[in-house]
Amino acid sequence: YRDLHTFELQAPTRLIEWARGDRVCVAGYGQSDGNEILQLIPPPTLLTKENQGLCPERDFKVECGGFSERPVYSLKYVPDTSLLVTSGPPDSSLQVWQVSAEDSDVIKSVSTIATEDGTGQSWAKIATISARAPWVLHGSRLDRVQITEVESRKNVYTTTSRGSEELSNLAFLDCNTLLLCCATGRLCLADIRQRQGLVEAVSVPSVPCSEQWCMGTRHGAQGLEPSYHPVARLSSRGLLTLTDLRKTSELLALGKVRIPSPGSGAEFLCVSWAPALEGYLAISGFDGTVHVYDTQSWDSSGREAEPIFVHKGHAFGGAGGSRDPPLVTAHTWHLQKPRTLLSAASDGSLHVWDWVQPCSKC
Amino acid sequence: MPEIKVTPLGAGQDVGRSCILVSIAGKNVMLDCGMHMGYNDDRRFPDFSYITQNGRLTDFLDCVIISHFHLDHCGALPYFSEMVGYDGPIYMTHPTKAICPILLEDYRKITVDKKGETNFFTSQMIKDCMKKVVAVHLHQTVQVDEELEIKAYYAGHVLGAAMFQIKVGCESVVYTGDYNMTPDRHLGAAWIDKCRPDLLISESTYATTIRDSKRCRERDFLKKVHETVERGGKVLIPVFALGRAQELCILLETFWERMNLKAPIYFSTGLTEKANHYYKLFITWTNQKIRKTFVQRNMFEFKHIKAFDRAFADNPGPMVVFATPGMLHAGQSLQIFRKWAGNEKNMVIMPGYCVQGTVGHKILSGQRKLEMEGRQILEVKMQVEYMSFSAHADAKGIMQLIRQAEPRSVLLVHGEAKKMEFLKQKIEQEF
Repeated sequence: YRDLHTFELQAPTRLIEWARGDRVCVAGYGQSDGNEILQLIPPPTLLTKENQGLCPERDFKVECGGFSERPVYSLKYVPDTSLLVTSGPPDSSLQVWQVSAEDSDVIKSVSTIATEDGTGQSWAKIATISARAPWVLHGSRLDRVQITEVESRKNVYTTTSRGSEELSNLAFLDCNTLLLCCATGRLCLADIRQRQGLVEAVSVPSVPCSEQWCMGTRHGAQGLEPSYHPVARLSSRGLLTLTDLRKTSELLALGKVRIPSPGSGAEFLCVSWAPALEGYLAISGFDGTVHVYDTQSWDSSGREAEPIFVHKGHAFGGAGGSRDPPLVTAHTWHLQKPRTLLSAASDGSLHVWDWVQPCSKC
Repeated sequence: MPEIKVTPLGAGQDVGRSCILVSIAGKNVMLDCGMHMGYNDDRRFPDFSYITQNGRLTDFLDCVIISHFHLDHCGALPYFSEMVGYDGPIYMTHPTKAICPILLEDYRKITVDKKGETNFFTSQMIKDCMKKVVAVHLHQTVQVDEELEIKAYYAGHVLGAAMFQIKVGCESVVYTGDYNMTPDRHLGAAWIDKCRPDLLISESTYATTIRDSKRCRERDFLKKVHETVERGGKVLIPVFALGRAQELCILLETFWERMNLKAPIYFSTGLTEKANHYYKLFITWTNQKIRKTFVQRNMFEFKHIKAFDRAFADNPGPMVVFATPGMLHAGQSLQIFRKWAGNEKNMVIMPGYCVQGTVGHKILSGQRKLEMEGRQILEVKMQVEYMSFSAHADAKGIMQLIRQAEPRSVLLVHGEAKKMEFLKQKIEQEF
């Protein structure tokens, strides 16, 4: 490690979102009422690029907070507005909130974006893109994906699809293209300018038993060009595939990551690309660790890959013995500092860590 | 409807000095009487004219309660009792009574002797003031008069710090002073019973902060000290009164023992020696762990830490020195700082908050050229680090205390927040 800071939130979070002005947002996902949404100002030590001068404060400051009646499973800021959107069980509706940090420190609930409630709907996944603010892309199932304009709550687009699989992630690839990842691993593209069916991408090497998949796309590239960065998909059994969307007929790379057994389910599976390091990604959700991999040398053989770095801090944080070991619920990369990550676990811990590049073997 | 009136005379929204006037069922109690360390004139004292307009202080006030020995809570006491004039009872815990006069005298010496100020209390005044003090035990109900009673509760934070319950008939107020809900190396956590006061006055210094874990803080502190000592440098740690110094001593002692380090660690003489003596005396005020290990060996008898002598500052080679006062505003720590500032191998670690105007504050703000007395310029080449170890309750801790006491209303003081709406809603939600 180059640096490691550990913090304890009053309640665990399963999301860590970056907001304007280097703010970080976390939110509670407990079953009972009174989940807090907290917008935090990270300590100055985290914000500086190098160790310049003196940074007296090492603590996060709660800049503002709100109360959510339902557990918050997903949260996204709506770019160019002072709004944010959350989702969580029991249904796939979205809650819209207003953040006005200058006037008050309360995040106020503003409205709800309702969706048709089918039976057994799970919670909606959300995505936004600054090129298309104030739109929000959301949905819990392949055939129920919508784009809604947040302030007016007007529906702008709805997918048409014959499949109704549950979604694990969705994203704007660019301002006209959507990328949808089903829990089964199926990747689909949709062009919002056309109202036709969905284009399917390559399917993952199938293993019949129920593997759950999630995806990670590269941040940044918010211009008009589609991002040509490969899409990563991670399964609950440790398979990691990379797909180049320009050549969807074959996998770009396939690797296997070491996971503990028995597996802990796919609820918190998370894979994300490093914004500042080419080919690096991080995965978490299997246990109390976060792994960092360099995928540049990967091929399609499906061999087991060695992580470049493993953050074990959450596994050691717990009170020991009596309880289940903590599970990492979320992680995210720092947007500027190349090797800094933030990770959160089910015991309420929040870590900020900076790892050292190991020397290359020569 | 019982009416309880609260008037802050400083520290309503100011971390500088605490002094709160509470009127409850016709009784008037002053909670703390602190001094603001940033001002060099009368602004450092609370504004007592608000009360004196009601007549003589002794007639108006039923008692004064001091929560702990930090100067921002008791620093103005001798001024108040001897210069403004108050002859009534002053309540505080035994350790506070023992340690307060030491700190007050130390501060007086620096302010008057070194800085040559005139409108300040004298040594005799400190002594006279302390004669008016009635020491109390934890959980002991003290009858101030027929109607007014008070009771002290353990507050953690520093040795002898207490939270006070003030009761008149069926109305009561609890004042927390500064407190801490998590135990540390030498003190336990604050605790109060379900006394259900009408009003809980709580400090909120860290209400909107999510603190870095203590382990990380300590690890970084030790790393910095170790690195400096390894390269032959000297580490100066200006200590803020007594509390944190003890904590850091234990930390360093344990580390030195574990790593088998040889560099000397010194404790500046006078103030802190006496302090150690008092800690040993008041061992029951420390935490469980210390009391247990005390049987085997006295936690405050250090193997690796020795008394400092002024001459040692010139010794070659690495060393660590704890010296007072904490903000480098005068005295021994400033003297040592001046000697060591020019060498980049050395390091100064500020372990707490520095009030504006002090040298500590200046170097923490990045100033590297300081104007000293006689217009001498001091160039600071030594490394300047800051490591906050102060123990205050955060939002979680405040909620815990509220859950323990179950007050009808809560008043948050001693904090910096203009925006407390979120915390307010949080408290309202829960209760």
